[in-house]
Amino acid sequence: MQIPKTMDKEYISSFTEVTESPAKLCSWELFQKSYQIAETMKVSDFNQLVSPSFLPKMDFLPHQIECAERVIQEMNGRALLADEVGLGKTIEAGLILKEYLMRGMAKKVLILVPASLVNQWALELSQKFYIPAVTARKRVNWKEANIIITTLDTAKKGKHQEEILNQSYDFVIVDEAHKLKNHQTKNFAFVQALKKKYLLLLTATPVQNKLTDIFNLISLIKPGYLGTYEEFVKTYRHQQKKIDDDPYLKQLVNKVMIRNRRKDTGVQWTNRHIDTIWVDFSEEEQQFYNTLEQFFQSSSHVSGVTYKREFCSSREACYLSLKKWINLNEKAENTPLLEMVKQIEHLPHHAKAKKLVDLVKQSNEKFIIFTEYRATQIYLQWMLQQENIKSVLYRGGFKKGKKDWMRHLFQNYAQVMIATEAAGEGINLQFCHHLINYDLPWNPMRLEQRIGRIHRFGQENDVQIYNFAIRNTIDEHVIELLHHKINLFENVIGQLDQILTKLELNDLDDEVEKIFTESKSIGETKIKLDNLASVIHSINDEEKVGEA
Amino acid sequence: MMELENINHFLESFFSLYDCPIDRPEKNLFSIQLNRELDEALMNRPFYWHYMDKLGQQGAPMTLKLNTDPESEEKGFEWIHFGSPRLQQIFSYIQQQAMYTLLYEKSDGVTKTALYPWLVGNIKVSYLGKQKKEEIFSIGLHLINGIMLNNMMKKLENIPFQRVMSDYSYTLSPIIKPPSGFYRIFQYIENEISTHDNSWAIASLKTLQEEKELLDYFFQHNKDVQEFYENEERHLTERLEPKIEISIINAGLFYLSAQTVQKLIQTLQ
Repeated sequence: MQIPKTMDKEYISSFTEVTESPAKLCSWELFQKSYQIAETMKVSDFNQLVSPSFLPKMDFLPHQIECAERVIQEMNGRALLADEVGLGKTIEAGLILKEYLMRGMAKKVLILVPASLVNQWALELSQKFYIPAVTARKRVNWKEANIIITTLDTAKKGKHQEEILNQSYDFVIVDEAHKLKNHQTKNFAFVQALKKKYLLLLTATPVQNKLTDIFNLISLIKPGYLGTYEEFVKTYRHQQKKIDDDPYLKQLVNKVMIRNRRKDTGVQWTNRHIDTIWVDFSEEEQQFYNTLEQFFQSSSHVSGVTYKREFCSSREACYLSLKKWINLNEKAENTPLLEMVKQIEHLPHHAKAKKLVDLVKQSNEKFIIFTEYRATQIYLQWMLQQENIKSVLYRGGFKKGKKDWMRHLFQNYAQVMIATEAAGEGINLQFCHHLINYDLPWNPMRLEQRIGRIHRFGQENDVQIYNFAIRNTIDEHVIELLHHKINLFENVIGQLDQILTKLELNDLDDEVEKIFTESKSIGETKIKLDNLASVIHSINDEEKVGEA
Repeated sequence: MMELENINHFLESFFSLYDCPIDRPEKNLFSIQLNRELDEALMNRPFYWHYMDKLGQQGAPMTLKLNTDPESEEKGFEWIHFGSPRLQQIFSYIQQQAMYTLLYEKSDGVTKTALYPWLVGNIKVSYLGKQKKEEIFSIGLHLINGIMLNNMMKKLENIPFQRVMSDYSYTLSPIIKPPSGFYRIFQYIENEISTHDNSWAIASLKTLQEEKELLDYFFQHNKDVQEFYENEERHLTERLEPKIEISIINAGLFYLSAQTVQKLIQTLQ
């Protein structure tokens, strides 16, 4: 076999001339050093990664190394990394990037991540991989800097966009790439237009048999293969083709996507312990809850589900939204609602909050508490304050600097962090292993994201999860369903997600809400929830059989 | 083995080479007083030197503080190790400074000594396909009689060379000119390579073939994007078609005494 060869002819033609000008000649010692360096840095094996041996402080997991090898060797550096939450996608991406940098195959790198993750990426790249990256906010020299971390929003702003599209990147990473699922968005068009040799898309949202997702992501990784969106849809959807029916499409997907599941990693994960903490309302509270329930049952046009959930969280949360409702509905002036608002004002401290304070007080451990409501968040901080328990608040809406600061305070000074839902994405709190679901979200994805904040790589302890629930309320039904019936906390979300896709249910929370709203009685609610749970179970069993 | 193994030795000798005073409070700690050349090369502050020059001032080179022990976290010392950007920076500085040389074997400076010209080339062969692999050859070529030796750097390791000729030494001029010397070396390397296992290239071609089939399958549906198709095919070929690149790490003219030449050739027999 003839393999084409190229030679460095330029060097030869300059050699004679240079050896006559002493300024460009070096000493024997330096000459030797340069040769030694070349020997040290050479890539001596086709198959092995070079970089891990240069990262002595890192302990990579087998699936991470394997992922990097596959991306480099089989996928030519263009891939979708779709591992389940917490398996270390950032580590995999960092390792791949490091490998390309060390092999001299990449110099100019653009990393696009959500605003909340910019600093974390920079920190991880520099601390774990010794990759010096510049984080770009407003002013940045796109031309000069070699490795830049920024957000999609910053990058696609007018003047930046123009500059960036003029650059030729060796390596582009897009974190949380599910934001590129829609091919009609500016995000998609922007990433598509980037000049890039290697491309990693990272997402925790699984790409299943949903053809449109596949179309968009493959179009970025392997442009042109699937033609235009319209043609693609025509060929596949209208002919009712599935991926499995088309071996080429299947092969194509396998060539671009890596998805590790927790159970395939062979890693001993620390355990999750789940406790339900049952709380009884005080008599006054229970009375009020009943009043609330009766009132909304009699007024057929509004569902009381929201208010009931709020009241199970805190007086404050319920009070605020009742007030709001009254303000919007002038007719409500003479209804029992005004009376009810007054009643709330006179209720004692919330039974759940008291229980929470008791639990935290008994322990020296750090706790992360999640609630759905901001009013509850502030109330809980006040309650803890009364016992001299230091806590910090955390919200999705905080500016980045403030988020980092809160995390720092929590790690170093405060015993408790109280977070609302939006805190779910991005913040890593491995130093804490106690989590309280003060109230439960009905969306399993969000629940998993909460837990994923502490149950992830780097967590050395078993993780303790407390679910607070009030007996004889809507809480009870929800905890029954999520915890006891479908074992949500033990099951890993990926499976449930697949099941929901099969059932063609997009959101479990919508479904649950529907059941609560449409059921005429507690009995009916229970039966419907039971049915839902057993459907999920049967599919889950089927899946397990299929896998075995 | 010619690889760098001990980073402490490497740093010590590199900075000494540039006459930079080194203070080592601990075995793993280096506090290096840079000179202007290395400050410019390593500290990344061109403006500082630009303004100093403009003001006609001397400027003060910085002190570089390095720590080679991953376990110690000494404040103010940056951790340097294989793979750290700082070491990479030093490496690439050296590589760029040490492309060419012209050296004479040191003699006692009393005896009349004839020095024979050798071309020493350190050559990197990169096998490029699906993946990459590199091999390094160090070849010496006697520029008068054409004798060629492998592992040349290893063989010259302990011979003292200097940039100026010792007294009473004189050089013989090459019969083989360096450019044709290089071609002889390349010829030798090509011969060597041709005996190597080439399964890597076959595997690469196979992957290329697979990728092309996939490409053809998907593009048969949309012929109107011919340009795209051609582009992608070109990229695939560029990336996957096996090829070999032969490049020069560094090379130089070495003048060796008859005695040394004798010794080198003996090892050949």
